[in-house]
Amino acid sequence: MIIEAAQFLTILATGLFFLCFVFSIFFNVNDVNIIKLISRIYSHSFFLFLSSFLIYVWLAINDNFSVLYIAQHSNTNLPVFYKISSIWSAHEGSMFLWIIFLSLWGAIYNFSVHNNEPLKARTVGVISITTVGFLLFLLLTSNPFETILPLPPENGADINPVLQDPLLAIHPPTLYLGYVGFVIAFGQAIAFLIEGNSSINWEKQVRFWSIIAWSFLTLGITLGSWWAYYELGWGGYWFWDPVENVALMPWLAATAFIHSLSASSKSSILRIWTILLSILVFSLSLFGAFIVRSGIIDSVHSFANDPERGLYLLAFIGILVMTSLILFSYRFTILISNKRIVSLSKESFISINNIFFGTLIFSTMLGVMYPLIYEFIYDQKISVGAPFYNAIFVPITLLACLFLLFSIESKWQSKLKFAFLNNPLIISFVFSLFITFLSFKFYSVSRAWTLASLFIGSLIISRYILVIYAYIFQRKFVNIYSVLAHLGLGLLIISIALNNDFSSERAMNIKINETETYKNHEITFNNLQLTEGPNYESVKADFIIENKNGNKFSLNPEKRKYFVRGQITTETAIHASLLKDIYLTIGDQLDDGSWIVNVQFNYFIRWIWFSATLMIISGLFLARSLNRVQS
Amino acid sequence: MKPVRKKRLQTVLLILASSALGSFFIIRALDSNLDFFYTPSEIFLEEIPENKRIKIGGMVLENSVIREKTKISFIVSDYQGSINVEFDGIVPDLFKEGSGVVVLGYLKDKTIIAEEVLAKHDENYMPPSIDIEK
Repeated sequence: MIIEAAQFLTILATGLFFLCFVFSIFFNVNDVNIIKLISRIYSHSFFLFLSSFLIYVWLAINDNFSVLYIAQHSNTNLPVFYKISSIWSAHEGSMFLWIIFLSLWGAIYNFSVHNNEPLKARTVGVISITTVGFLLFLLLTSNPFETILPLPPENGADINPVLQDPLLAIHPPTLYLGYVGFVIAFGQAIAFLIEGNSSINWEKQVRFWSIIAWSFLTLGITLGSWWAYYELGWGGYWFWDPVENVALMPWLAATAFIHSLSASSKSSILRIWTILLSILVFSLSLFGAFIVRSGIIDSVHSFANDPERGLYLLAFIGILVMTSLILFSYRFTILISNKRIVSLSKESFISINNIFFGTLIFSTMLGVMYPLIYEFIYDQKISVGAPFYNAIFVPITLLACLFLLFSIESKWQSKLKFAFLNNPLIISFVFSLFITFLSFKFYSVSRAWTLASLFIGSLIISRYILVIYAYIFQRKFVNIYSVLAHLGLGLLIISIALNNDFSSERAMNIKINETETYKNHEITFNNLQLTEGPNYESVKADFIIENKNGNKFSLNPEKRKYFVRGQITTETAIHASLLKDIYLTIGDQLDDGSWIVNVQFNYFIRWIWFSATLMIISGLFLARSLNRVQS
Repeated sequence: MKPVRKKRLQTVLLILASSALGSFFIIRALDSNLDFFYTPSEIFLEEIPENKRIKIGGMVLENSVIREKTKISFIVSDYQGSINVEFDGIVPDLFKEGSGVVVLGYLKDKTIIAEEVLAKHDENYMPPSIDIEK
């Protein structure tokens, strides 16, 4: 009964969201009473929908296995935390969460933006219709409320053990918050186009929301990358898997978007770009949902293959994008700015980098779709591996960084003048050259791309440090959060390059009480024991690692066997330090009693997380500062 | 030509030329980095250069796994053809005889020298799909 009630609430909410949309289109949205009405209907339908979700969470916590989805993905033995996170461990439930977040963003927007803001009613309308599209998808093709009646199973089928991890419980929610957060920017852009009044500065209103969404997206991707690093046992943090790529594309577009936003919120010169990018970001987010949920591409992350779902999503995205683009071309004339982009101005560098971002997005899209196209034409299975992406991303990113450096020097709407003496750029140029030379000479960094990345990374870092110096000691006005985020970029480039250059691994064959040496470290296999967790049994190895300075520590990699599904997983053991992680995984036992053990030295991996964290935190602070300016 | 027209023509040509050049490099990078997928019965039908990375998929043949220290060798079969694979390192948890596997590596002397071994969960696994669990 309660299940039907929850489902009914969702259906009711769908109807009300649709009503919001209809009102926003057909009624006079300049009438304050109408705006109030739309705003109220939205809030009410959000609360109906939210209650429906909360009931669902309650059902999951209480092991209500008459719900098919819960029976398939949860289990009485699971801790409550995982009973909740099991909701988003597969397609139906995660779609449910996705829509909750979509409407949540709408609700926060609706709640916090004043009713007399010019675009509010229409923005809420656009968010509503997007929500309706997804809600219909949920109810028609992927209903989480489906029941097994009259005889529910005694126990559920459990969630996949590799997903039983605290980080993976929070990775999807943050990622989704990022993906769907761009609905506000999208909604405002469409509302702006419908309104057709070029004097409204929608960019200024939308910056806050977009930067928050960007921060969540970055956080979601970083968490996923971190999880993959310690859980999968491969020691890498990025695999160019199709599903990672479909998260990267909206991220790239979003990054280009927030940069264009900052340009066009000052003058409307880059408005065309900005509108297009807002549509692109949201479409790419939806495209990601399509790729993951249609099963069209083989990947670790994809859900089961279902053409019906894929077709629905494709049609939905198609309609959304087509409508937006038609509207865009219809209003094209009001978007054209009568000012021209001054060459060598900040706008010009942002435009150039937009082209680079576009190239990266295009290449990633090509890499994702090419296997499908190729198979269709030549009937031959292929896959596009990391080398392709590296060949594109490394040079283009470095090139884009050079333009970033020029843009630090430049000003809005005026030509960059080089003052060669006492120019901070010269100082950081010399400094970076010095650093690169030192690494080449004394730290045996010899690969050309590593050196190039090191040089450009140091350029960015040192240049921004000079900016920070000027900010603190010479009271120069700068957007300090943006500076810190770009500092993160510089660090990220260096850490990725060094990680790639220095990291190494070796598989070894070792018996209990034996010692092996790898790169000045003595690795002793101390002991092996059988232990039991709440829902698994495990073989836990104890290794003592001693480095050349005599420092000792122990590492305990595990192999677990989960009771319910009988699945075996490998738990890595990691010893983290400032420069490197020592990363241990155990494999199989051989007939002579020895074990295969894989040792990896992963350099600068913590720096990668740190760089990303710096970007995320700077993003959040930047959003906060914007919000203060607004109100 | 009038100066304005000339300038516009130049702009158009510049944009066309640079997009063509960009696309050329992207496509070239793509073409030289494709991993072709073969089944064991297809693999000897054509010449595959030693430096070309390929993927093969099939079943790990029963009783074919030989371990020697950290090295492992096994035969991948699709019941019509088979090929020997050598790998140094830890094979995934789901790797076992009689179940599906995907190998990424180079062909040398009728043997695949593997860079990566991925195992497939499903018992009814048949080559082309590559749902990976490592």
